[in-house]
Formats: sequence, C-alpha cells, structure tokens
Amino acid sequence: MHVDHVLFMQQVSAFLGPYYLTLALLNAIAAAVLTYQLKNARAGLISVGVSFFFVILSAFAWNGLPPGLPQSVRDMANVALTGNRGAVIYTLGTTALLIALFFTRKYWVRPAVAWGALNAALLLMGLSMISPAFFNIVSKADNVPIVSLVFLLGFFTWLATSKAVANDERAKQGLPPLEKLDDEKILVWPDLVYTELICMVVVTVVLLVWAIGLKAPLEFCAERAKTPNPSKAPWYFLGLQEMLVYYDPWMAGVVLPSLVLFGLMAIPYIDFNKKGCGYYTIAQRKFAYCMFQIGFLELWVTLIVLGTFLRGPNWNFFGPFEDWDTHKVLALNNVNLSDYFWIDVLGASVPRVTSDMTGGDAVITVLKREGLGIVLLLIYFIGLPPVLASTVFRKMFVRMGFIRYMVMCNLLLFMTALPLKMVLRWTVNLKYIIYIPEIFLNF
Amino acid sequence: MAEKKKLSVAEILAAARKADSGGNEGGGAPSEKAAPPAEESSPAAAPAQSASAPSEPPAPATAAKSPPPKSIEKPAAKPAAAPGDRPSVKDMLAMARAGKSAAPTVKPAAEAAAEESAAEKAKPAPKPAPKSAPGVQAAKAAKSESPAEAAAPRSTASILEAVRAGKRLGPISKSELAPAPAAVEAEVVKPAKMKPAAGPMPAKPDYAKKTSPAVKDEAIESRRTAVGFLGFAVGSFLAAGFSAMTATFGLWTLGFARFMFPNILTEPPNRFKVGFPADIPPGTVNEKFKTQSGVWLVNAEYNGKPQIIALSAICTHLGCTPNWLEAEQKFKCPCHGSGFYKEGINFEGPAPRPLERFAIRLADDGQLEVDKSRTFQEEKGEWSNPDCFVPV
Repeated sequence: MHVDHVLFMQQVSAFLGPYYLTLALLNAIAAAVLTYQLKNARAGLISVGVSFFFVILSAFAWNGLPPGLPQSVRDMANVALTGNRGAVIYTLGTTALLIALFFTRKYWVRPAVAWGALNAALLLMGLSMISPAFFNIVSKADNVPIVSLVFLLGFFTWLATSKAVANDERAKQGLPPLEKLDDEKILVWPDLVYTELICMVVVTVVLLVWAIGLKAPLEFCAERAKTPNPSKAPWYFLGLQEMLVYYDPWMAGVVLPSLVLFGLMAIPYIDFNKKGCGYYTIAQRKFAYCMFQIGFLELWVTLIVLGTFLRGPNWNFFGPFEDWDTHKVLALNNVNLSDYFWIDVLGASVPRVTSDMTGGDAVITVLKREGLGIVLLLIYFIGLPPVLASTVFRKMFVRMGFIRYMVMCNLLLFMTALPLKMVLRWTVNLKYIIYIPEIFLNF
Repeated sequence: MAEKKKLSVAEILAAARKADSGGNEGGGAPSEKAAPPAEESSPAAAPAQSASAPSEPPAPATAAKSPPPKSIEKPAAKPAAAPGDRPSVKDMLAMARAGKSAAPTVKPAAEAAAEESAAEKAKPAPKPAPKSAPGVQAAKAAKSESPAEAAAPRSTASILEAVRAGKRLGPISKSELAPAPAAVEAEVVKPAKMKPAAGPMPAKPDYAKKTSPAVKDEAIESRRTAVGFLGFAVGSFLAAGFSAMTATFGLWTLGFARFMFPNILTEPPNRFKVGFPADIPPGTVNEKFKTQSGVWLVNAEYNGKPQIIALSAICTHLGCTPNWLEAEQKFKCPCHGSGFYKEGINFEGPAPRPLERFAIRLADDGQLEVDKSRTFQEEKGEWSNPDCFVPV
C-alpha cells in the first residue's frame, strides 16, 4: 500500500501528462469547431483558453509536478462523504443533486454548459489523482471500466435529457417531436449494415487496445480460509452487495432482486400514460421518468459508485482520498428496533424465546417482542397506499384502478425501503425492524 | 401444390385456353378414349401410363412408382428438354396460336402411347411439365390431342380481359389448379370440376365404377397390414430403445451415487486433536487450524465462565471467511462487514446470528478434540450444552 512517494509521483505524472494533453487536444478541436463551423468566435476563444490551460497542466505533469487538490480539501471530502455516520451525505447529496439537475435541466442540457461540466469533472479527476488512495482505486484494472462507464452514463443521460427538453419545448409550441420529423425509412443495406460494420471495427479495436494495455486483474489462488479483503462483487452487482449489508440474504439476495425484475416486467401493464411513445419527453411522462431515474441512477448507479469508491477493507466506509487501513475502527454496533423499544423506551429486558417454551408461548413471545416492528411494517405496506391514494396519487388512483394502483404503490414502497433502511442504519444504527432469528425472518 | 400462389400470365392463359377448348369438346371425348386403356391395363404399368399421357404432368409420379423405366427415361428426357424447361409466354402463345404446328410435336407421342415400347419418344413432351404448372401441360394436352375440334385460338388480350373481369375462364390460383393432374389421370370424374362452364357431365362408364373401389379396398387392406407391421416394428424398437435408455440412466444414477462414497477422503477428518488446553492461554484466539479445518480455538468468557471453544470460520451472513483482527479483538468479514466478538457473538454488520460452535472435548490423553460434525447455535440456546466447550 505504501508506495515510495517519489515512485508514486513518477507513476502519476506518466499518466497525467498524456491525460491533460488529451484534454487540451479535445478543447482545441472544440475551439476549431466552434469558430469555423458554428461561427461562435467568443466561445471558440474561451475554448482556446481552456486548451491552453490544460497544456500548461500537462507540462507540469510531464515534469513531475502534477497539480492536485490540497490536502485540506481532500480531508474535507473524506469526512463529508463517509464521516462517522456512513454515507448519509453521499446518499442524500446525490439525491439532492439529481433533483436539482431535474429541475434545472433546461440549463444543464445546453451544449456549452454540458461541455463545461465534462471539462470540470475530468479536471477534478486529474487533480484527485495525486492522492495515492484515489489513484489506486481509479487505476485498478477492475475499476477502469466503471470509471469510463460513469462518464458514458453521464453523456447518455445528458443526450436523452437534451432531446427530451427540446421535444417538450416543441410540444409547448404545438409542434410535433423531433423524432416525428425525421420519419424517413433507412435501408438495411447499405446504411444499417455499414454502421454496424464500423461499430464492429471500433469495438474490436477498443477491446484489443484494452486487452493489451491493461493487465487482467488476476488474484492469488482461491483458498477456502482466505477471502480477499475487501471482497467486492463484479461492478454490476455492487448495488446488490450493498443491499446485502442492510437486509437479510433472503431479502436482499432473492426477494428484492426478483421484485426488481418483476417490477420492470410489470411496467407496461401498470403504465396508463399513452404519451411519449417513440420520442424523448419528460414533461409528458414526469412520473414514469422520475421513478425510472430514481430506480436506475439513485438505486443502482450511485450504489455502484459507492461500492467502488467508498467501500474498503472489512467493508468499512473509506473516503475517496483515504488510505485503506485494514484496522480502521468504526463504531458499528447495530441495534434492533425491538431492543430500542424494550430497553430504551420501556426500560425492560427483551423477551426471549427459551428452549422450554411450548410452540404457542414462543409465538406469543415473538409477537410481543416484535409487535412494534410488525405494526410499523403493516402501516408502511398496507396503510400507506390508501393514504397516498387519497392525497398524492389521487388522480393516478382514479385512472389506474385498485389492482394496478396497489401493485405500483407496493413496488414503489419496496424501492424506497432500501434508501430508508440505509439511512436508518447509518444514523441510528438500526439493524432490523422485525427480528425473528428463530425462523430466520428478519426485515 | 396446395399453396395458393399467384399465377403467372402464362399460366392464366394456358388455363383459360384449356377451359375454352374443354368447353368446346364437351367432355373431351378423344381424351377419354386415350386415357382408359392406360388405366385399365394396370396401374403398375408405368411405361404405358407415362406414354399414354404424353403431356401429362403426373408422369414423374408414375415414373417414381416404377423405378426401372425412370432410369431409362431420364437420359432420353434431358437433351429433349434442353431448349427450355419452362415455356415462355411467347412460346406458349405461339404454340397455341399455331395450333397445328404445336400439335404435331405432341401428337405422334400421343399415338405412340398405345405401344409400350415408345416410352422414350414420349418423354420430350412430359419433361417440361413438372417444372411449369401442371395445369398448363394438362391444358396443352387437352388442346393438342384434339386440334381439329379446338376452338379458334383467342387473343391474349381477350383472355386476360376475361380473367380480370372475373369471368373465370380458368383456375385463378395454383391450389385450384392442383386437381388438374388428377383430373387428367381419372379424367372421367374431374373435368367437370375444372370447367364450371362446361356442359353436363357424361355418365360414368361401368369400368370406372367397378374397378376403382375394388382396387382401393385392396390398397387400403394392404396398407393396413403394412401399417400394422410397421407399428409393431417401430413400437418394439421404441420399447427397446426406451428400455435401453432407462437402463443407461439407471446405471448412471447408480454410478453418480457411488461418487458420494469415495474410496479415499482427501479432506481432513471431521474429528481431530488440536493440542493441550495450556496451548491456548486465556483471552486468546488460536488461528492455527483456520486454514486446514476452518476452526478458531478461542479461550474466552461466555456468560462469565471462562471456557475453550471451537468457533466455525464461516460468516453467518453469506458464508465468507471472516478475519481475526487482534488489534480490535473481533472477527470481521470482508464481504459485507459483519463483525463478531471474540466469543462469536455478532454485533455489527448484517450477520443475523452468532458464529457457530463445533463440539469440543478433552480426550483421554489430555488433548482437546474437535468434532466438526456437530454444530451448536447460540440463537437456539445450544451454547449451554457442555459438549460445545471445555471449561478452564
């Protein structure tokens, strides 16, 4: 872990020099396009300036002096993202950011703003590289695809949103969506087949370069008594692995993933909105759009990023610039809701099932012990849908009918149960709402 | 044959012409005369039949029934067919219009049909038949056989016009056309079907009434016995096959079951000695047997009583192997962060229950002996069982 500092700086410089130079080149191309093709001299000039800035950074990096974030900023980021209370700020912060992006989408989809944000993100990544911990995470062969996927995802989300915003603007003016204007048919041969051929060649080249440039992340021989620390799932399952921290294996490994699958299958049958077919739109399908983005961006992608950047040895939280210390001590004592209720509120001891109890007595004891949790859960899954139907989802309930509404509402509640439990775990160390280890039923 | 295909202009023309000429013939007496002898003689007499209907489409079918003639016919047919497998519209129109010029090429063949030896000569005409629509050839046959009585050839335009106007001078689709060959074969019955505009159907000749049912019955009878034999043969083969398969699978299952009881066990024994209690000082965790046996030997207090226990090194969450962290005095799982106290009680992370204990006892020689075949779970209250600890 503790690489010699000089060696490390050489390594980072060797990476950052070409990295900044590439960024400079990208901006130079952008400047050329802006000036000559789009006839926007002012924007072109700014782009030239940015390009020049990256050239200077590159020169510093080549000479072994890559600029980076100051230690104080890195420390602040570490504390903010993973402080004592887990990733509360990270989770709530990403949620708030996504909401903010949603409401200010008209501003963010402008190409100039998006280009600026991309440059800023890449610059931030470059500046973060001088932290050995961050560099280790990003340059690990396992994580390279994750980092590139994050950028790709950002690009495609931007692309879709910008098209949707454009279409919504047109809809306001009573114009048909852009996709309907360009309704001409394209021939399979040669148009499609040639496109596919080009894609095939590009993908082959990328895979070849990747295979040659990055070593396969092979590890030591598998051994029963030696588990890699941390043991991370493949990147696409990091969300599942994170979920397993908060729910029982049968719940997080079986029930919730199945619900995700069945929920996705159920979408066409739940959906009653006939608009937005065959073109991008947000305004015409606000609810569907928001739900999907919460499920995908919030509950899948941010968990992948969390698993990649913030989880370290012993599955503890580590800041992105924090060294992975196997012996990091965190107070993670988890307490069940029944413990809170019986010990802290009632000041009594928690009733326990003993081996000399009869079956009926045991059931009564368990019900008595977990009563509060059971009631809370019933309220959440059975009491909440009618309340929502008469308030927030009133119009939807009328249009969907009872069964479709209940299916939708329960899927929604299961979806929100995960971040709720995560935040409860981090803030009040809540382990289980219902805890019945006698029959392996915990929730 | 049965599928409905759009007819080509050529086919429509040909069919229309056939309908025309048929109507004029009023049952086509000459063709009747020509056909019966062939049928009467014997259905198996392939050369005769193929010759009797020189322009008959089913020629290949009958030829197939009797392989020997086929082999003779083939070489002869090929060169003759060379000019064109499928007559073009032009050819057909020309032939139809010329009437006489088309007839001679076919007529000699029709006459030759009487003599069985003329099989080779007859072939040139039938050859194109299978490739082009059978009906076309049938029509041609009908026409060419009676060139004298044939109606004056109609112009293409008038025929097409009639067809398009829905007058249906001929069959419109191939499926309608399909029966045509059969009609020629058993010409007594079918032509009426083909020609709705034709006159009243002639009475069925006696020979046709008598012979065909008998032949049919015989055929069915023979087929029944054949099917019966076939069923028996296949059935027994099936039975034999399935029996063999069942036996094979049974043996496989037995062989697989045998794998459950290997001759040699390469894994360490479930019951093994781990040294003297003095080797495990109070408050320590012995990791010596973790790698080989997945066991930690712990000398710790449980419920205020110091004891030596054997803890299973399998996380109760999802089965990873936790690590013992000496500095923190806890077991910590690297997969999802479950933490356990020294005595095995879970206190952090997702693990729902404490680590399991194995049976441990003091052997006669004073050494500790662990038995991994028996486990004790705290949440079931089994840790009070004296078999799972050695008091110190």
